[in-house]
Amino acid sequence: MNNLLSIIVFLPLFGALGLAFFPAAEVKQHRVLALLVSLVTFLLSLGLWVGFDASPGAAEFQFEIVAPWVPSLGIGYHVGLDGVALLLTLLTTALTPLVVLSTFQAVQDRVKEFMIAVLVLETAMLGSFAALDLVLFYVFWETMLIPMYLLIGIWGSENRLYATVKFFVYTFVASVLMLVAILYVRAHDGGSFDYLAARNALQASGSAQRWLFLAFAVAFAVKVPMFPLHTWLPDAHTEAPTAGSVILAGVLLKMGTFGFFRYALPLFPEAALHYRPIIATLAVVGIVYGALMCIVQKDMKRLVAYSSVSHLGFVMLGLMALTAEGLTGGVYQMLNHGVSTGGLFLLVGMLYERRHTRLISEYGGIAKQVPWLATAFLVVTLSSIGLPGTNGFVGEFLILSGTWLGKLHRAPWYAAVGATGVILGAVYMLWMVEKVFFGRIVSAANRHLPDLSAREVVVIAPLIVLIVVMGLAPQPFLDPARPAVDRLLARFQTAEQQLQNVQPGRPPSTGTETPGLAAALTAPGLEGTVR
Amino acid sequence: MDNPTVAQSGLWLLILLPLAGALVNGLVGRKLGKANVALIAIGAMVAAFLSALVVYVQVLAGRNVASGGSENWFHVLGPDGRAMVSIAWGLWVDRLSGTLLLVVTGVGLLIHVYSTSYMSHEDDAGYARFFTYLNLFVAAMLTLVLGDSLVLTFVGWEGVGLCSYLLIGFWYTDEQKAFCGRKAFVTNRIGDFGFLIGVFTILSIFGTANYGQLAAAVKGHGVDTLLTAGAFAGWTLGRALTLATLGLFVGCCGKSAQLPLYVWLPDAMAGPTPVSALIHAATMVTAGVYLVARTSFLFALAPATMATVCLVGALTAVFAAAIAFFQNDIKKVLAYSTVSQLGFMFIGVGAGVYFAGVMHLVTHAFFKACLFLGAGSVMHGMHEDTDIRNMGGLKDKMPHTRMTFLIATMAITGIVPLSGFFSKDAILAGALNSENAAFPAVGKIAYVLGTIAAAGTAFYMMRCYFLTFSGKPRTKVAEHAHESSPAMTGVLWILAVLSVVALLLGLPRFEIFGRWGEVFGDYMHPVFAQALGILHGEGGEAAEHVALWPFAVAWGVALASGALAWAMYVGNLREVPGKLARAFPGFYRFGVDKFRVDELYDLFVVKFVKNGAWVLWKVVDRIVIEGIFVNGIPRVLAGLGRFFRLGQNGDLQRYAAVIAVAAAVVLWVVLGTGAR
Repeated sequence: MNNLLSIIVFLPLFGALGLAFFPAAEVKQHRVLALLVSLVTFLLSLGLWVGFDASPGAAEFQFEIVAPWVPSLGIGYHVGLDGVALLLTLLTTALTPLVVLSTFQAVQDRVKEFMIAVLVLETAMLGSFAALDLVLFYVFWETMLIPMYLLIGIWGSENRLYATVKFFVYTFVASVLMLVAILYVRAHDGGSFDYLAARNALQASGSAQRWLFLAFAVAFAVKVPMFPLHTWLPDAHTEAPTAGSVILAGVLLKMGTFGFFRYALPLFPEAALHYRPIIATLAVVGIVYGALMCIVQKDMKRLVAYSSVSHLGFVMLGLMALTAEGLTGGVYQMLNHGVSTGGLFLLVGMLYERRHTRLISEYGGIAKQVPWLATAFLVVTLSSIGLPGTNGFVGEFLILSGTWLGKLHRAPWYAAVGATGVILGAVYMLWMVEKVFFGRIVSAANRHLPDLSAREVVVIAPLIVLIVVMGLAPQPFLDPARPAVDRLLARFQTAEQQLQNVQPGRPPSTGTETPGLAAALTAPGLEGTVR
Repeated sequence: MDNPTVAQSGLWLLILLPLAGALVNGLVGRKLGKANVALIAIGAMVAAFLSALVVYVQVLAGRNVASGGSENWFHVLGPDGRAMVSIAWGLWVDRLSGTLLLVVTGVGLLIHVYSTSYMSHEDDAGYARFFTYLNLFVAAMLTLVLGDSLVLTFVGWEGVGLCSYLLIGFWYTDEQKAFCGRKAFVTNRIGDFGFLIGVFTILSIFGTANYGQLAAAVKGHGVDTLLTAGAFAGWTLGRALTLATLGLFVGCCGKSAQLPLYVWLPDAMAGPTPVSALIHAATMVTAGVYLVARTSFLFALAPATMATVCLVGALTAVFAAAIAFFQNDIKKVLAYSTVSQLGFMFIGVGAGVYFAGVMHLVTHAFFKACLFLGAGSVMHGMHEDTDIRNMGGLKDKMPHTRMTFLIATMAITGIVPLSGFFSKDAILAGALNSENAAFPAVGKIAYVLGTIAAAGTAFYMMRCYFLTFSGKPRTKVAEHAHESSPAMTGVLWILAVLSVVALLLGLPRFEIFGRWGEVFGDYMHPVFAQALGILHGEGGEAAEHVALWPFAVAWGVALASGALAWAMYVGNLREVPGKLARAFPGFYRFGVDKFRVDELYDLFVVKFVKNGAWVLWKVVDRIVIEGIFVNGIPRVLAGLGRFFRLGQNGDLQRYAAVIAVAAAVVLWVVLGTGAR
């Protein structure tokens, strides 16, 4: 049972190795094999979900394995999952088969190499979520860059080289900062790269903590991406092939928010509290700014890319609220964004395969030609703008209410400004839907578009089912996150108490406020009602 | 059928039946053929209506029915195990939601039946799509009405917004119609933003959004109770609730098309006419009134909000009536009339005569649905022409449509003894007698504005009726107009009868109870008892004014301006409208252009945001971040590199020259300083 996690992490890599032995000309074999490997990975990962114990008394990290790797340097192979990593692992394993399946038509060139890149990328992503050793994490983290770099650089569109260099430099420079911080942490926690050791034994002065936090935070903020470090994303998304965009939006961006949740916040809670107003402000700015950028985009992928900036702003706001509601909502919104934005990129990719253009103005009025594609697009759009009944609503509601109810100074203002994203989201998403699908058909090329093929239905239907299921029955996806959220909150409460010892009278700023009306706590409901 | 458990299980069926109908028709409807699609959709509605009746038996017996409430939708337990955000799937029927339940399923069923004939020109796919949306709408509307918490109401609230969006843009191949749908959704989202702020504020005051728990929590608290914790610690309950209820009311302004967010409703007429009748007249747009009535015990603790509601309602009633004077499109007249009538309802709930607001909601649902469906029938007869200037003389061609339209017109005008008289004038009389703690004059102002609006209503509705049905046909199309099918006229008659019979709700009943009361007011009293207790002191009632003169005034006003309309469009003063238009051409144009509010919003809101976004994109994204930092820093480094490369290009003569110059400089410096 304990090996299951390692098996899941490395299965795609072994699949990739296996692919290397098949002749490159046998395109079909590569496709089917890659699909099979990713499907088996997904099925196995369901075992993680079933086996995960989310009760309050359970171990923090489960499916844990500790093995020495480079003992002389204190580097170990240490993997394990908490609830948040579990959910993101499931997101990754669920999206990858869909991504592979979506490329059967779109990728005709170097199929073997493409599939190998995707599978290697999957291992790197899964490893990043599973790693509990800082060096191991860093290795997986940097490994993600290479296949992604290749995916954009080889299978991307016209301007791919500029985009891919920008993507690489941006993220690599930021990661190097993190590496420096990791080395510093090892020097001050008793000589171990182990995450738990670092968390428990790190001895660093207040100012050193702040620098360390900043180094981690910048690395993660680039990945999120947070305003103003976001400009690599529109280029990368626009130039990437569909599969690259889906993985980038669906999983890679969550690396940033996951990094905050797993590393930057719990390792340096005092520094995090210090910088929290700035980060929360940047998150809110990101929500509004990203949405405003969407309004003026002409390219569908660029629009969806900027919408990611807005949505990930919501996630960051939820994390910075440091309330159970906000953190849980933030985690949930990571999943939602993976499902809905992943779905949007898949659908845009399907349109691209039909017309070979991403320009909104090239479309118009095609709902009559492709009614099912239009319906799927609309459902995913509604999820993206957080309509109740879809997953997006649960996430946005938890984030905004969690922020509003938080103890951060002027918390309601952050929530209120963030909530304008709800309006702007409807503005730009429905504008795109209208311009692409409604109205008269102007371009003759749009007159004979085929509707969803059976393969495309298989690609998009699971996401639509997820959108509805996660919207109506979110609890199975919220519950696993609870122990991790509670532990993080407890860490912050301890940190606050220490700060209060130094500065007496410092008001608490984490956790949820109690209701203002004291009597409200005990009020019964619905008097005189038949039950 | 007096069995509570049956009623309870029926509650969820109410929502699930139309939802199932929508699912079946949406997934396979296009292959089923029109007859089966209609059968499924109407079958779901009939079943829902019957379930509603079963539930209503309980309500009549004086019992409220709740279902669920323990099944969680989502909740997050904090580290201490207490959930501030805990949303349950709970439905709740009392006399208020029960009444709306009957209206929604009843009128909904009628309009489904009407639509089977009205939409029969659509192809199979369109027909299935229409009934999918219509069933989905009913499911969402029932969620809105039956939900036992603000959050569930919000689910329905946004759900009906979605259906409205889909149905306004039903003929999406027309760009204009698709745009109107989006305009409706986005405008509503502005309101929903306010709704969310209201919900969050309520969560931080009470820690719950469940209506029953909220009502229990405020019990015994006054406006001056100090809040002890949360973001509003140190505020009085009244102040915090003013913020909360104002937020909710912004939501109401969006959904119920009040100033300043009313602009989407007239454009919503782009949708098929049954949709206008069901969604944009009878049910969805009254959701705001329902919300205020539902949370009346919170609004009552926020007098400033009550005054705002009352005043916004009154201003909207007058403003929309004024625009309706100038409209020549029969659906536009009815649309502005709806906006105006919704204003009346808000006067009612804002002035604290909650039952009157709700009663007007019910009667309005009947007569306005009848009017819209009548307009649809006329449009069928007129080959989709909606301009009343092209009509005239339809009374002989379409006798059923004409009679029902006339009855409904008289009902909305407030002619005794039709239902509109009782509900509208209960509102106005109630407003006149109301006392607002924050702004004492607001009731009187609302009464005056409301009376003016009522006079306007009588005029423009009669104008609309006379131009459409009286006189002689003014075009060839009107000469050859034909009556619609029995499926349509039958529904018209039922609604016309209902708009008469609904007068029973408004009958005074003082001889039975020995005091001034009304059937509907008494019936609704348990729902609003808490709010009325807050407004008028515990156990108290509104001061009893048995003055009859407001009723006489209202009746006189309706008759007089109705008669004026008759004179101006049928009688001896027929030259007057044309003369007036010629005498004040600028003002006339201004009125026809709906006072150019759309253009104003376009200039100051839409263009502002769009251009602002464009400037931000160009300046911040492209120039500052991309230009200066992302590409600028590498460019500077590259430039430096290029500069230093100049000295390292392998050209020996240049090296020699550099060495010589450098040696000279060094020598000069060394010797120069040495010499000093």
